[in-house]
Amino acid sequence: MPRADPSLPAAANPPGRGPKLRLNLHLLGPLLALILLVVLGASLNGNFLSPANIANVLARSSFTGIIAVGATFVITSGGLDLSVGSMAAFLAGVMIMVINALVPQFGVGFGVIAIGMAVGLVLGALAGVGNGLLITRGRIEAFIVTLGTMGIFRSLVTFLANGGTLSLNFDVMDAYRPAYYGTVAGIPVPVIVFALVAILGELAMRRTPFGRHCSAIGSNEQVARYSAIHVDRVRLLTYVLQGVLVAVATLLYVPRLGSASSTTGVLWELEAIAAVIIGGTTLRGGYGRVWGTVIGVVILSLIDNILNLTNVVSPYLNGAFQGVIIILAVLLQRSRRATS
Amino acid sequence: MLGAAGVTDPAARHSDALLACVAVSKQFGDVQVLFDVSIALHAGEVHALIGENGAGKSTLMKILSGYLPPTGGEIVFDGAARQFSSSEAAEDAGIVLIHQEFNLAEQLTVEANIFLGREIKRGLFLDVKTMRARAQALLAALETKIDPTARVQDLAVPDKQMVEIAKALARDARVLILDEPTAVLTPKESLVLFRQIARLKAQGVAILYTSHKLDEVSAISDKITVLRDGRHVITAPAADLTEHDMARQMVGRDLSELFPPKLPPMVAETVLEVAGLSVPGYVTDASFHLRRGEILGFAGLVGSGRTELMEGLMGLRPSEGAVSVMGKPVHIRSAADAARLGLAYLTEDRKGRGLLLRSRMRPNLTLLALDRFSRILIDEAAEDRALDQAIREFDIRAPSRTVAVGNLSGGNQQKLLLAKTMLIEPEIVIIDEPTRGIDIGTKQQIYGFVQRLAAAGKSVIVISSEMAEVIGLSHRVMVMRLGRITGELEGEAIGEESIVRYAMGLDSMTKDHRAEDRLHAAR
Amino acid sequence: MRFRHMLMAAAAVTAMALSPSAFAQDKTYTIGVSVPSADHGWTGGVDYFAQQTIASLSKTYPNLKFVLATAGDPGKQASDLEDMVATRNIDALVILPGDPDALTSPIMRVKKAGKFVTVVDRKLSQPGVEDLYVAGDNPGLGRTTGEYFVSRFPDGGNIVVLRGLPIPIDKERVDAFNQAIANSKIKVLASQFANWNRDDGFKVMQDFLSRFPKIDAVWAQDDDTAIGAIAAIKQAHRENQIWVVGGAGMKQAIKQVMDGSKLVPIDVGYDPGMVGTAIELTALKFETGLPMRGSFIVRSPLITQANAAEYYHPDSPY
Repeated sequence: MPRADPSLPAAANPPGRGPKLRLNLHLLGPLLALILLVVLGASLNGNFLSPANIANVLARSSFTGIIAVGATFVITSGGLDLSVGSMAAFLAGVMIMVINALVPQFGVGFGVIAIGMAVGLVLGALAGVGNGLLITRGRIEAFIVTLGTMGIFRSLVTFLANGGTLSLNFDVMDAYRPAYYGTVAGIPVPVIVFALVAILGELAMRRTPFGRHCSAIGSNEQVARYSAIHVDRVRLLTYVLQGVLVAVATLLYVPRLGSASSTTGVLWELEAIAAVIIGGTTLRGGYGRVWGTVIGVVILSLIDNILNLTNVVSPYLNGAFQGVIIILAVLLQRSRRATS
Repeated sequence: MLGAAGVTDPAARHSDALLACVAVSKQFGDVQVLFDVSIALHAGEVHALIGENGAGKSTLMKILSGYLPPTGGEIVFDGAARQFSSSEAAEDAGIVLIHQEFNLAEQLTVEANIFLGREIKRGLFLDVKTMRARAQALLAALETKIDPTARVQDLAVPDKQMVEIAKALARDARVLILDEPTAVLTPKESLVLFRQIARLKAQGVAILYTSHKLDEVSAISDKITVLRDGRHVITAPAADLTEHDMARQMVGRDLSELFPPKLPPMVAETVLEVAGLSVPGYVTDASFHLRRGEILGFAGLVGSGRTELMEGLMGLRPSEGAVSVMGKPVHIRSAADAARLGLAYLTEDRKGRGLLLRSRMRPNLTLLALDRFSRILIDEAAEDRALDQAIREFDIRAPSRTVAVGNLSGGNQQKLLLAKTMLIEPEIVIIDEPTRGIDIGTKQQIYGFVQRLAAAGKSVIVISSEMAEVIGLSHRVMVMRLGRITGELEGEAIGEESIVRYAMGLDSMTKDHRAEDRLHAAR
Repeated sequence: MRFRHMLMAAAAVTAMALSPSAFAQDKTYTIGVSVPSADHGWTGGVDYFAQQTIASLSKTYPNLKFVLATAGDPGKQASDLEDMVATRNIDALVILPGDPDALTSPIMRVKKAGKFVTVVDRKLSQPGVEDLYVAGDNPGLGRTTGEYFVSRFPDGGNIVVLRGLPIPIDKERVDAFNQAIANSKIKVLASQFANWNRDDGFKVMQDFLSRFPKIDAVWAQDDDTAIGAIAAIKQAHRENQIWVVGGAGMKQAIKQVMDGSKLVPIDVGYDPGMVGTAIELTALKFETGLPMRGSFIVRSPLITQANAAEYYHPDSPY
């Protein structure tokens, strides 16, 4: 054969140009930002690393975290779902109404809660099917479809609550409480659920045909189509998965305060999307990593936590502090891309 | 071998050259891609630079035109050593590189592109009138009918090429470097380009030109330089090198025969029968069949509907008509359906439809056959083994396994695409333009592969716009014209002239389509 | 309707007007009502009382027509005003502006078109635009709460403050609160925005609980925020050491006060029913022909176990 040395680069643009250090930074950027944030928090307040505070932060992260895992798949395949926050509020509202309606007939018990949960999950899946079909069959931009359903879900919950707040039956609340406040081996239940979802999500993204197909579609839809991938079916599935995960998050949210109102889940969609991007998934699709998203979510929660634990930043500057950290976290990993 | 006179040392003559590089080397990280290369371009001379993919042609051109700094050696321009800090600096000096992938602002008009960054102004405002007039004059000189106010995104590929050249002319180029300009042009368009090159040459422009088409190189160059593995091999007057010499110098050994000897067609059953297939807007009533172990060529002009016919067959485009595979009527609605039936299609659009350029080789390789590598989880070890095997079997050369596929050379991308397709073990393989933009050594490998495939009892359809390829490979050839199959040739009857006659509509095996042709053309 | 408890000045006029009689006219009038959409509990209450008032007034005065519009943002609310003037031909406007600064000039245009304008709750950036101003007492809410804290902590105490959104209403309340406790021994450990909502109340309180080992009381300023804070306190099992005061008079909070909760000893009203008062007063202008001008301040009452029943409306959404 013509060339004796197979190590010679095949193209005029050799890929090994970026030094190894920067490559690692791209990979570990979010982790580095997280570590910096933890160091900052620990130096500002002695209670920051207390088990109770860590449990609080992780448990709170679990709602947007679980939703963001779903968003990772949607975004990786080149889509977007803006409706998740409203959907969570709507699902929470319906779950509360269903449970409250069943109590007089069946009494307070795990059965009633289980039915409520099942209704939430089914409804979440259906909401995802709705979004997905409008996007794949209706050929409407994901941004527009989910912007529309975002408004619809938000209005529906306002309507169901008659403009006020839907509150869970007080006795059911006692039975349901452990789903948020309970612990297993000292670890809060929502944290365990979040971890499970994240591990399964990472596995699905990295090691299943579904995950591969998502990134292939996000990377180049034509290549995916020519590679015998059912593009529409995979797309639809990402939205259904997103809907189900929103429902899972809702199952944990309802027992926290036992209520749903039109303020429930406001801006969760942006938090979820921000977490996904901070974690290193590309917004235009094609590459996603669930573990990065998990770190992104924890980073966002830690920012709030640190602000509440200290008086260093004037409360009027909360938003600026958040903005700086978010941009820094992304900058850390993008330095490589900027040079290539 | 050539006489010693042919192997001149360009460094010795660079004093009278317009642009020269002397003992230039280039290193990317640990990898050296150019070793002490010297080349001299003279005013009024067409200098061809040839070599296999990865020989270092693009790097050398980028160094000459200021896109990359050399890591060793120097650039001499107009008799003085120069260091161009950027491509803009080189352009200001009159050195213009026209990339293979165009550098045009797609959303802007033709005239805006021609004067991009060098707009003519009157006071604070753009002098649209003057620019339009000059753009028109430039385009007219290039014998094109491109409207200066058209948007570049609406232009056909050859027209974009012409806009690039007009842009270079607008910059009063003294040195014009063309990176495979004819890869995207039809023969007729190529001739226009060659006329322009001759004109520029007469005006004293120095031209550096690369191409994989050796006949072109012979025809238009004054001087030829061959690069191999980043090293200068030979510089000689074009008249002293035959095409065979060039190929041998590029590959570094004798290329006995580009095409392996044809095996006699098997006498075997029909595996694919297509009757009356139409793809709305592209193909009308196409019928053909394919036998086991057969290589069936599809010839015709670009745009004659060959690709669309195959995409219609594969369920990638809406189509109607009867298709039988292995004697059974089938309905193929998607690429997945086709794969289940043992049909595979290699797209001509390697970068847009074939490979995920930002991904690594492994996910690309297994994307089509992913279910063979997974139950619930993907067996990554099995994928790695498959990649090992593909690299061995198809001789894929990559600097590392983790390189993004977009950074591989065209030839290696094509081999990877072949390997990807073969992973589903298809019985029928349709290969669209198997060797577009690929160097001659890789071409030969791919031809050998196609032949072995057929010998192993698989059936192959080859679509190609390279006449030699269709003739050299096929047992039988179908010729298409304006969306119809107009001719079928077999065995000894396969020849350049007979194919051209069918492709141009001079002959037709069925009825006279000329009336319909006019209709088709009118659309 | 509960707003009647709140407005002594208006009560007399209302009583007069409720005997339709002599002043009732045959001419029909259209009153436009523009309120923010129900984006949290309190605005939910506003919408509810607006609808209730309109329903009862329509019954009492058949010659009055009402146009009710809810808007999610200032832009929509401004367009609503244009529509009301242009296509519904209103005679009067009752508006609770979501963002008073942004809506000042659209409201001025309505005024210039010769309409009677009643502004509710939020002060416009230009004085003298409105004919009638019906408002809650924001400094009063802060002051009343602050005075209660001082009375509970004669020997000092550690408190944390959960603020609302960074807008003037919040500042008026917090400034008045700080003034009221200025000369006491109460120590404000920290204050942070919780955006008048439950989830943020929960989060901020969780963090305050991990930060401060000894907290005696919380001023959450809003009953929704208080609910979140209470959930966090219960999670930390500190409900016997800390009490919480919210604000605005949500029915759940009032119920707890009524039941003598140690955790929620009092509430301070800030009645969404003020919008009903405003609509009613505007209607009276047309029905009675009396001049209707000036400012009506709905005070923020201290709601204790003793008087909670008065403020408890189980049917209201808020």
